Amino acid sequence: MIREVAWRLFASEYNDANLETEGTGERPPSYVVTPLGAKVNRVFVVGVITDVENVGTDGQPMWRARVSDPTGTFHVYAGQYQPEAASALSKLKPPVFGAIVGKSRIYSPQPGTTYTSIRPEVIKSVDESVRDYWILEACRSLQKRLDAMAEAQKMDPPTKEGLVKVGVKEAIADGIVQAVNHYGKVDLSRYLAMLAEGLRYLLPEYREPIAPGEPTVDTPRPIKQEPSREADESEGKVLEIIAALDADGKGAPWEGILETATTRGVSKDSLEESINALLDKGLIYEPILGRMKKI
Amino acid sequence: MKEELAPHVHDITRALGNKVSEQEIERELSSYLNVYRVSLDTAKRSIVKKHGGNPATLATGISKTLRELMPGEQSVNLLARIVSVNERDVTVEGGSKRILYGILGDPTTTIPFTAWEPLPVPLAKGDVVRVQNAYTKEYRGQVQVNFGIRTAVAKESPTALPEFKPGAGQPYVGKPTAVRVADLREGASNVAVTARILSVERREVEVDGAPKAVFSGILADETGKTQFSAWKDFSLKPDEVLRVEGAYVKTWRGIPQVSFDERATITRLKPDLLPPSERLNVSPRMWIEDLAERGGAADVTVRGILIDLREGSGLVYRCPECRRVLRKGACRLHGEVKGEPDLRVKAVLDDGSGALTAVFDRELTEGLLDKSLEACIAAAKEAMSTDVVRDELADILVAQPVEARGNVTSDDYGLMMIVESAKLLKVDVQAEAREMLEGLEGSA
Repeated sequence: MIREVAWRLFASEYNDANLETEGTGERPPSYVVTPLGAKVNRVFVVGVITDVENVGTDGQPMWRARVSDPTGTFHVYAGQYQPEAASALSKLKPPVFGAIVGKSRIYSPQPGTTYTSIRPEVIKSVDESVRDYWILEACRSLQKRLDAMAEAQKMDPPTKEGLVKVGVKEAIADGIVQAVNHYGKVDLSRYLAMLAEGLRYLLPEYREPIAPGEPTVDTPRPIKQEPSREADESEGKVLEIIAALDADGKGAPWEGILETATTRGVSKDSLEESINALLDKGLIYEPILGRMKKI
Repeated sequence: MKEELAPHVHDITRALGNKVSEQEIERELSSYLNVYRVSLDTAKRSIVKKHGGNPATLATGISKTLRELMPGEQSVNLLARIVSVNERDVTVEGGSKRILYGILGDPTTTIPFTAWEPLPVPLAKGDVVRVQNAYTKEYRGQVQVNFGIRTAVAKESPTALPEFKPGAGQPYVGKPTAVRVADLREGASNVAVTARILSVERREVEVDGAPKAVFSGILADETGKTQFSAWKDFSLKPDEVLRVEGAYVKTWRGIPQVSFDERATITRLKPDLLPPSERLNVSPRMWIEDLAERGGAADVTVRGILIDLREGSGLVYRCPECRRVLRKGACRLHGEVKGEPDLRVKAVLDDGSGALTAVFDRELTEGLLDKSLEACIAAAKEAMSTDVVRDELADILVAQPVEARGNVTSDDYGLMMIVESAKLLKVDVQAEAREMLEGLEGSA
């Protein structure tokens, strides 16, 4: 029994997989085959563990961790049969850089829906340099598969022998042929973009400057036609008032808001405007008619 | 030749369930034997494996000479002389058991053996025995023959085998095959190697109770390095370039090695025929998948991640007699003994193309921990468990990128590197990423 290699691959490629195959032998290993032909029984992942939660019960805990890399998120599940990994997970304080060695898993609750996950063998918190090195390795591995898949797409049909002849390693060639048979002709540009994204992630010249304290959401803020500071100001005031008047937790009464707003120099018109804007932004809501509550 | 091979061709086709035609098998067998010059046994097994069959189902066993034995053979037939034999009681799975152990000899060499089951005939020194279905293992660099429950042992006439004479053997006939160092494969004989001697030293070994000198060292060509053993004094000197004709290839745990004796011809060549020693004496960086394909290599460098520590890492206790690591205070061979403390690491080194077990000795482990063996013993005493040492090692090593250099060997459990030196890998990730990205944008 030769030990299965630990694949370095990005979450986005792994999560695209919906093919499971079995090896041979007495206790045949199972593999998750990705659209690029990575035939994965074991993975090695380094990313940011963003949250850990017990999705089981107190008596039978099942720890779920989300691990994000530059392209997506891995889901890691550890229960009673992975006692060491479960105990390591339960003690982590996210966010933290974490290295995970584990077995590939695929779960299909109904035809057409599949979820990939990792059943961990080893979990360890690491530093950023280990994570950066992992990204580089994942990029190299992805590049190899991209090159091999590009060769395969020139063949009709691609065969293991044909791929080995053009210099593709046998272990990779096998996965590629299985992938082509199952996924058909995959769009390589998507994975090329993923590769470039992974590489740029490592390079400071491509890093977007992020001001401290700013939320790091990708979606740009909606640009208002009238970027009025006044409106922002009154919204801020109204938000404060609503919070302050919400004494019993059921929300601030409309009359009280109007009264306090007037004393603080906010007209009824601009109050109504502000409340509408705050409702739109999802910063307040109306739990019962006539009362406003801060979210 | 054809009539001689016929039973073996039948045997192979039968083992393959008649899936492959006899003509094809005959052609392959002849190619293995005449072109690649491997032993009949190796050839048969390789052909069966190649066609997806199980070599263990081969029936017509070939009696091997002891020198041909490799570690990990499952069904070995031998004709050998008992050079020595002793009894010993061992603890096996809780119970006590009497086993026989000793040394077997034939005209080619001597090898230790162990009989794990009672034998139908008593064995005495000097007996010649025919052994069927024995198996081999490797321990501390030497092949051992084991007699198990399926093994049949029968006495033969003492004249069935000539007395063991070290170094005996018939001269080769035919032209030797030229082979480059990187292409040396187990079982090849009568090969010609053109190489530079990088180092050589004289050792005294005991062969059948008599001292014998062997000249061993490293030789290399542009393709790689290998260990060699010369069983005759050819007055080899470091740095000289020579052609050895009539050498044979043995493997030591998967690493091909060149041996030659008085049947070989040595021709000294011009020293500038090959690059200088400094150029040849490098440790090539290799991918684990390539090492797996070759079955091992001497003095290579591997870059990868230590992804796990194996059982038996950290503070261990060894049998004072055979140096095996004790399990629950007992040695597999010598039962309950007072163990001697030692430090070691057995870690899984994975480079994304494959995995091997990397073994770090006491000195390297002390360096990794920055702690002496004595300090580890004290720490374990205080914690009342040796786990503290293992945990500390896991903390330092797991998930770390490392570069390790050493010999890589192989057995049934995969590849193993005996680490000579290792360092934590520092890579300029940005520079490499930039280079890859430029390549990507250049080709787009």
